[in-house]
Amino acid sequence: MTAPPVAADGLVKHYGERVALDGLSLRVGQGEVVGLLGPNGAGKTTTVKILLGLVAPTAGHAELFGLPVTDPAARRRVGYLPEQFRFPGWMTGAGLLDLHGRLAGLDAAVRTEHAAEVLDLVGLRGRERERIGGYSKGMQQRIGLAQALVGNPDLVILDEPTSALDPIGRRDVRDIVRTLRARGTAVVLNSHLLSEVEMVCDRVAIVDRGRLVRSGRLDELVGGALELRVRLDRIDGRALDLLGGHGEVVASEGTEVLLLADDPAAIADLAAELVGAGYGLLALVPLQRSLEEVFVELVRAGDRDGGAA
Amino acid sequence: MTLREAASRRLLLAVLILSGVFVALLALGFALAQDLFAAEGVDDLERDASAAVLTILGLYVASFLSAFLALFLSAGSVSSEIDSGQLHAVLARPLSRRSWLLQRWLGLAIVVVGYVVLLAGSVLLVARVTTGYQAVRPLAGLGLMALQALTLLTLGVLGSTRLSTLANGAVVFFAFGLAWMSGLIEFIGGVIDNVGMERVGVITSLLLPSDALWRGASAGLASPAFLAAAGAMAADDIGGFPFAGLTLPSPALLTWSLLYVPALLLLAVRTFTRRDL
Ligand SMILES: Nc1ncnc2c1ncn2[C@@H]1O[C@H](COP(=O)(O)OP(=O)(O)OP(=O)(O)O)[C@@H](O)[C@H]1O
Ligand SMILES: [Mg+2]
Repeated sequence: MTAPPVAADGLVKHYGERVALDGLSLRVGQGEVVGLLGPNGAGKTTTVKILLGLVAPTAGHAELFGLPVTDPAARRRVGYLPEQFRFPGWMTGAGLLDLHGRLAGLDAAVRTEHAAEVLDLVGLRGRERERIGGYSKGMQQRIGLAQALVGNPDLVILDEPTSALDPIGRRDVRDIVRTLRARGTAVVLNSHLLSEVEMVCDRVAIVDRGRLVRSGRLDELVGGALELRVRLDRIDGRALDLLGGHGEVVASEGTEVLLLADDPAAIADLAAELVGAGYGLLALVPLQRSLEEVFVELVRAGDRDGGAA
Repeated sequence: MTLREAASRRLLLAVLILSGVFVALLALGFALAQDLFAAEGVDDLERDASAAVLTILGLYVASFLSAFLALFLSAGSVSSEIDSGQLHAVLARPLSRRSWLLQRWLGLAIVVVGYVVLLAGSVLLVARVTTGYQAVRPLAGLGLMALQALTLLTLGVLGSTRLSTLANGAVVFFAFGLAWMSGLIEFIGGVIDNVGMERVGVITSLLLPSDALWRGASAGLASPAFLAAAGAMAADDIGGFPFAGLTLPSPALLTWSLLYVPALLLLAVRTFTRRDL
């Protein structure tokens, strides 16, 4: 069995009085695309910095590909786009990629060929001979992304890769992440853009106040208890009983009720029971909760607990 | 890693051009002085002495310029890389912080030593061609000047692993200024036989031997005529020449300075590997 790209246990980080991480554990499997999602200051950047050996955790342990993050060899198959990067303006794009190719241990011949490939991927082909200082903000982010892809890493860590990009750039990044996934590259994507995470990630880890508050496959997160809008031709006690057997009626108005279903798989049973009992089933609409709702809910809940404590 | 060299390409170019102007001015000064002396029929001894003083002053300026170059290159050598996020991307590669820092230092050290040798060498060459100037121990002198620049460079790299570029630049600049001042205080203490003042100088050279090294270097780069003239001044109780030394550094100072650079470098590696980025 090969070691997973990321295995972190009980990461704690204190900056003086401030607690940036409070016992966060994270696992990323081979070829898995994981989104670290959280509000500002949640500890996303701190987490990935610990994974890269840039920040020493106050407590806890982290490994990349089975090697402790304190060992430089752990980073042999890793590419990283820092949150804040301003590459030296005097360097050309090609120069930057060559530098990283060298650091990744590629031969000179391979480096040039490889650089062309990643430039294609980020859409900067033809601009690589120019100084980075003359790049636009979005182009700088693209070259930063290119730099992280040099050496065909098995784990790519992207800390808010789309903050400076236009909508097309964002879509390009999504396509790049999909390409990486298709190649079997594991990706950790930090973001507070839910839509971005929603569209490309296999799994989402929601971080708040230095803790992992929820982690799971996207459909699990937004699934679970499912809200149903049910409209019948009439509502009476028996109908409410039937509905109550499958969940909790949270609201009702006229002949319409909002049901928080216990088991989304049992919707068909509910429909059969209602019809069997002679009700006219006019509407049965699953209201998929969006990731955004889950996210906001969790963070709000954290706020309340934080306030109470 | 020659990163830094490339980064400072423009800075280096500007420095090289200005240094060229400085050497050209010095050459012009020598030529004009020679003409003047020839016209006024000044005797050889006096001519040699004044050429020697001009050369030593030229070298003094060269040592200042080298010190400033070392300061500029080192002040942000680590901190500016952290600020730009460039370092984070580089260190995410399988590269240890120690080897990154040592390569960084080495690249800067090569630039600085090359600059010292080039600049001081040009001053000596110009003096030699125009006035027949001969240094007593040119290689030892150049070596000591290079060591002086290296102590400042290494101090700057050490500071840069912890401080912001601006704070670090200020600290190293003040340290350099203090070392320079204490060199003068030590000199005056020697003239008026004040043990306390001399001690100040000794203690400062322990903390930052840059000025002491310059004084040693100047003794090696001086000509016999300069040493004779300054020696005569010293014997006359005028006290000699305040900005240069007459003796090569003691073995103790030399040993200390040679240990100083690796010790500071080791400390820099320690602080750098332990900090959060
Ligand atoms: N160098 C530091 N010194 C002190 N506190 C820090 C430092 N770096 C981070 N913190 C604190 O740690 C907490 C987590 O910061 P972090 O940068 O990991 O958040 P984030 O989730 O990446 O936020 P964002 O979405 O804004 O990028 C914050 O409260 C921040 O103030
Ligand atoms: Mg962040």
